[in-house]
Parts: sequence; structure tokens; C-alpha cells
Amino acid sequence: MKNIILTALLLSSTFVSAQQYLTREARLDFDAGSPLEDIEAFTESGSAVYDANTGKIGVQVLMTSFQFKRALMQEHFNENYVESEKYPKASFKGTYNEGSVAGGLTIHGITKEITVPARLDQEEGNYVLVTSFDITLADYEVKIPSAVANKISKTASIQVQATLKNTSR
Amino acid sequence: MRQLRYIFILSLSALIATAQEDIFDLLDEETESTQYTYATFKGTKLLNGQTNETPGKGVLQYIISHRFGSFTDEYLYNFFGLDNAHIRMQLDYGFTDRLNVGIGRSSVLKTSDAFVKYRALRQKTGANAFPFSITLYSAFNYRGARYTDGIDHYMSDRLSYHHQAVFARKFNENLSLVLAPSIVHWNLVPGPEDPNDTYHLFIGGRYKLNNRIALTSEYAFSSNHSYGSGATEERFHNPLSVGVDIETGGHVFQFHLSNTRAMSDPLWMAQNPYSAANGSLFLGFNISRVFTVKQ
Repeated sequence: MKNIILTALLLSSTFVSAQQYLTREARLDFDAGSPLEDIEAFTESGSAVYDANTGKIGVQVLMTSFQFKRALMQEHFNENYVESEKYPKASFKGTYNEGSVAGGLTIHGITKEITVPARLDQEEGNYVLVTSFDITLADYEVKIPSAVANKISKTASIQVQATLKNTSR
Repeated sequence: MRQLRYIFILSLSALIATAQEDIFDLLDEETESTQYTYATFKGTKLLNGQTNETPGKGVLQYIISHRFGSFTDEYLYNFFGLDNAHIRMQLDYGFTDRLNVGIGRSSVLKTSDAFVKYRALRQKTGANAFPFSITLYSAFNYRGARYTDGIDHYMSDRLSYHHQAVFARKFNENLSLVLAPSIVHWNLVPGPEDPNDTYHLFIGGRYKLNNRIALTSEYAFSSNHSYGSGATEERFHNPLSVGVDIETGGHVFQFHLSNTRAMSDPLWMAQNPYSAANGSLFLGFNISRVFTVKQ
């Protein structure tokens, strides 16, 4: 009898690990444009993970994977603003709790605690994450030269859309 | 006792489970993707020579270059040489992210030129890593200046060609180097003994001081340093330039000091009559502006 209980317990611990959801194709959009200049980019190669047991959720993206309409803008984004060589990745690590996520957002090597509304819906055995929020560029020490200050928004709006699949399947 | 053992094993297995499953580790376990190295150089030209860079698809680039008069030529009277400026204008377009085609006009010997530049291979990291970039560059040049030798010249006499394979590597965020074996062909050379083809090795580099300012330098070795011999001998010197790149948004300013004055490729590389040792140094600049024509 004891053995059965113990085996059941052991089995349940493997079930725990089966509650992890993952994607490597998360779509992230950002917009830091102004009436003078469109500054938009997206990537479809972000990573996102979610643990349905603990509520832990994480998103990570390579800065150089962001696609801009203009090649030069993309170069400036990586070279002058987010300094992708020094800080190749941006990430969010936190927990999901009833319509919002809270945790540390790391951009440009700087981590800030944020809490933003997010939707995480179960669809056909997958989790679909949708969130959009604004960040203040100065918080992450992204420097904007005064010469172009009126072309670049002080805040960037970020959208995340990801369909996370169960890792055990 | 037995119970204890079970509990021990159980807690151990639970520990192992949690140690393995910090879920955020999964984020880093990414399958490695290929990443192209960007911005090896700020400009498509280093100073006079080419870099591996092209403007990108749908981008129209305009470069205006000036080379001022020599330090040895009544320098203050000529306002630091500015009164004797030579000029070159270039307009080029990126048909794809790899293919760049352009035209230029220089006041030195009234030279018109046209070029094709193609990024054959790009430096990349991650999966399928490749350590450097290779860009192919070909230019042809037409001398517009009248000949003063009294001979009726063919149109083909006025043509010269320049072909180059540009090897470039971005070593780190600050340091990039370029190495370009080059061939120059002149349809017309002064004497029958003089070579029509000359071989050159162009080397250059940049070191970034900060995000917008970089120091640059370039030099070219040559297989040939003179035409003719005796009293009529023309001597040529290897070109050496040092400069600074300043980038502001869509502009790149390149200021430099050089012992060359010509701006079309074969002239500055293969037939540079000026020697820094004689005090022949020139101030100059290139300013490039890009326009995104097609997104």
C-alpha cells in the first residue's frame, strides 16, 4: 500500500513537469514612432515559456532579430540605441496571475519590475499569451540624442503574441 | 527505517526535479540561429577605398567628396587648401540587400565612373558561422579630360578598370578590418614597357571611440611605382589616409588627411603622384546621405 502511494507521488512529480508550455515563435512588435517618423519593428522568433503549475512565465528575444522597414534604422537600433552587441537579449521573467503578469523586464542590460495586464487563454491544449504595454525608454537608459529627440517617442509600446505548446507533446 | 529511506529518495527526486526545471532555463536553450554581423563599417567607403558594406535594398545613397589643396602649396594663401578643392559626386542604389550599382563624377581628370558592388558572403555567428565578409567590387572609369600630347586618341584609350575582392571582418564592437586584393587595368599607359595591369593590396580599419565616432585609416600596396625611366619617369606612391567617421542619423561624415587627391578608384590607388615625405598632404571629406526610396 505504501509503495503504491509513493509510486503515485513519484508519478505526480513527472506530471508536474508536463505542465510546461513553450514556443520559439513568439511575435513581438514595438513602436517608438512619432508624428515625424515611423519607427516600428517586429520579430517572430521570440521565445516564451509558461509553467501552468507555478504560474511562472518568461519571454525572451534576440534584439538583432527585430526587423525594421529600413535597413539603416535597424542598424542604428542595434548599434546606437539598444547596443545589441553588449546586450544581445531582452527578457521578461515573472508570474502570471489573473489577467496580469508581474516580474522583471530586462532591456539594454537594465531590469525593472513591471506589472502589466496580459491575457493567457487555454486554446486546444495550448496557451495563448497576448499582452501590450508601454515602457519609458529612459528607464532602460536607452539614450536618444537631442538632434533626433522629436523624432523618437519617449515611450515605446510593445506587443507580445505567442502560442505556447505543451513541452511533453 | 524503510519509511525514512523512501522519504529520503522521494525528497531527493523532488529536488532533482526542481533543479532541472527552473522554467526560465528553457528560454536560453534556444536552438542556435544564424545571426549576420551588422555595421562592420559605417559607410560603403572607408575613406577612398571600399568597405564590405552596401546601402541595403531600396536605399539611394548620395556621397559628396572634397579633396583640398596641398600643405606645400601656399597653404594659408589658399585658405588651408580649400581654394583648390577637387570634388567627386556619387549616386548609388541598392537593388537588393546585396547588389549595389552607382555612378560618379570627379573633377580630377574629369573622370566619370560607374560601379557594381555585390556582397557575396556575409560574416555570421551562431549556426553556420562564417568568420568574415566578402564583397566583390568592379568599377570602370572614363577620363573626360582632353589629352595634351597632340595625338588623336581612341575613346577606348580613356577607359580604365578596377576589380576588387573586399574581405572584411568585424573583430568586436569597436574594431573592424578590411583587406582587398585589387587589379587595375589601364587601356592606355605612357610607354610600351609600362604595365597595363597593376596589382594592389588595400588594407584598412576602423576603431570606434563611441557609438557615433570612429577613427579610420587605410593604405594600399602596389606592384608598380613608376612609368618610364630616366628624365621622363613618373613616380607613384602608395596611398595612406587617416580619418575620423562621424555618424548622425542618415549622414556619415568622413574627414581625413591623406597623401592622395584623386577620388576615382584607379587614380588614387595606382597612380598617386604625391608623397607624404615631400609634404604633400591633403585634407578631405566625404559626406554620405541615404534616402529610403522603396520600403
